[in-house]
Amino acid sequence: MMRKGRRAKEFLIFTIFGVCTGICLLAFLWITAILLSGSGTLSLTALITPVLNGGMFEMVIGTVYLLLGSAAVAGPVGVLAALYLVEYAPRNRITRLIDQSINNLAGMPSIVIGLFGYAFFCRALGLGISLAAGWLTLSLMMLPIVIRGSEEAIKMVPQTFKEGALAIGTTEWEVSRCITLPAAAPGIITSILLGIARVAGETAAILFTSCVMITRGLPKTPLDPIMALAFNLYVKIVALGETPDKVFGVALVLFLIVIVFALSAIILRIRYRRKQPWLR
Amino acid sequence: MLFRKLNKYFKSIRREPVRFILFFCSFLSIIFLFLMLVFILKEGAQALLMFGVGFLVGPVWETNADLYGALPLIYGSLMIVFGALVIAVPLSLGTSVFISEIVPFSIRDILKSMIELLASIPSIIYGFIGILVVAPFVASLFSIPTGTVALTAAIILAIMTIPTIVGVSSEIISAVPKDYKEAALALGATKWQTIRYVVLPTAKSGVIAGILLGFGRAIGETVAVLMVAGNTAVIPSPPWNFLSPVYTLTGAIAMQMGEASVGSVEYSALFGLGVILFIITFIVNTLADSIIHKGTKKGAKK
Repeated sequence: MMRKGRRAKEFLIFTIFGVCTGICLLAFLWITAILLSGSGTLSLTALITPVLNGGMFEMVIGTVYLLLGSAAVAGPVGVLAALYLVEYAPRNRITRLIDQSINNLAGMPSIVIGLFGYAFFCRALGLGISLAAGWLTLSLMMLPIVIRGSEEAIKMVPQTFKEGALAIGTTEWEVSRCITLPAAAPGIITSILLGIARVAGETAAILFTSCVMITRGLPKTPLDPIMALAFNLYVKIVALGETPDKVFGVALVLFLIVIVFALSAIILRIRYRRKQPWLR
Repeated sequence: MLFRKLNKYFKSIRREPVRFILFFCSFLSIIFLFLMLVFILKEGAQALLMFGVGFLVGPVWETNADLYGALPLIYGSLMIVFGALVIAVPLSLGTSVFISEIVPFSIRDILKSMIELLASIPSIIYGFIGILVVAPFVASLFSIPTGTVALTAAIILAIMTIPTIVGVSSEIISAVPKDYKEAALALGATKWQTIRYVVLPTAKSGVIAGILLGFGRAIGETVAVLMVAGNTAVIPSPPWNFLSPVYTLTGAIAMQMGEASVGSVEYSALFGLGVILFIITFIVNTLADSIIHKGTKKGAKK
């Protein structure tokens, strides 16, 4: 009898937990559904029509420029930092301090990073409101994600691989370059993709560092300001007070860009886990 | 002894100069965190010195009169973050336990990926959803003229905070050693009793760290919040009135930075707000970090 009561209670509690999970998942599906319901307003021609003619061509290209540039900065630095932390770092106070700083950087509000980007990159380094300042600011946000993800991937490479190479007389760096990094490559790429997804829709950090509402054509040098989807959406809603249904197209394109990066990272990770026999 | 150690270190660098480059890359994070504090302090110094403690506790934030007391903004930020956590914490805990203990292994990955996707949706999209759907809903539910109030901001913020808390705490919950659980089950405990008396107490500090990180993420959230919070720099009356508009630290920076001219008191005051945010998140993150670090160290010793 008692046993039966316990079972019923357990079932009830687990159902409540399941409902919690269901609410979280529904929130995601619901947001996706709302955005996709606006797909009627989006036409492919809008993507290649210049902004001055009511399209969003320069904004899409500007967003892509921003993402590729900041990945080019944060990717290599992040991977090397992760390699150091996993393979070379001694266990001392400095290493611990580096670890804490990375976590702090990961939790720093994007608006504070934006303020810093403006004060440091735009003004102190004299880059002005420019694509380059946006790259550097966004790479600061991307860096902790790349480092953490790459660390995971590098840790997964079996010790025996490295020992085998060391035994035939290679240096530590040769092992890292020829054994560890190639073996960890899929995980590293995943972390970079996740980093890109994280900053793709970032608004606060580029608000005062690299964007303008309207400029003539595409940027010619990295020192030119750019147009970006997230910034456009922000200004239209917050400053110009346009109703949400007028900006549906831009919101949808931005959402799709972010989801494509995030989804490809996740799929890559799952496939990679299945392909590497030493992981399970 | 020390000399010999240093000598060895330099020799290893000379043999492999690449080691130094690697060290430098990871040291960059310390450099930039430090530079960040220095630069926002430098730009905010004017306002911080001018108003002193009044910058923190002054009840009036009025740009036209050049009066900058951040109290209403700090209150507004804390209020909606508190509201968001009240909604998000129970949901996230239920979800983390469900994902890491109850569902079979094969669908765990899928559920986790979906939560991760929820985390990657940009905040501007959340703000967009907020004014498109949530604000009108709140307005009609409580029959108030406009839905851009603290409650709406708290709801949106809650959805945004859930993935952070779930991410950390489900990780920690799945890291509870298997033999603990098996020991409890062997003694005849039900699955729920095992979770309640073995898994959750073991994972407690990690879960707290997750909530702290969620708090840090929520208080630093900018665009989504400013789009739905109403942005009025007064403390609501009564102070727990969630149906009145509020202004937040992050919102004030984003809204006013565009029009503040470099070197003005307003410009400096906005960087002062940045300093407040920096300090709050620094404390919260460092606390969460040391809790997690302590936990993993203990686990490693076992």
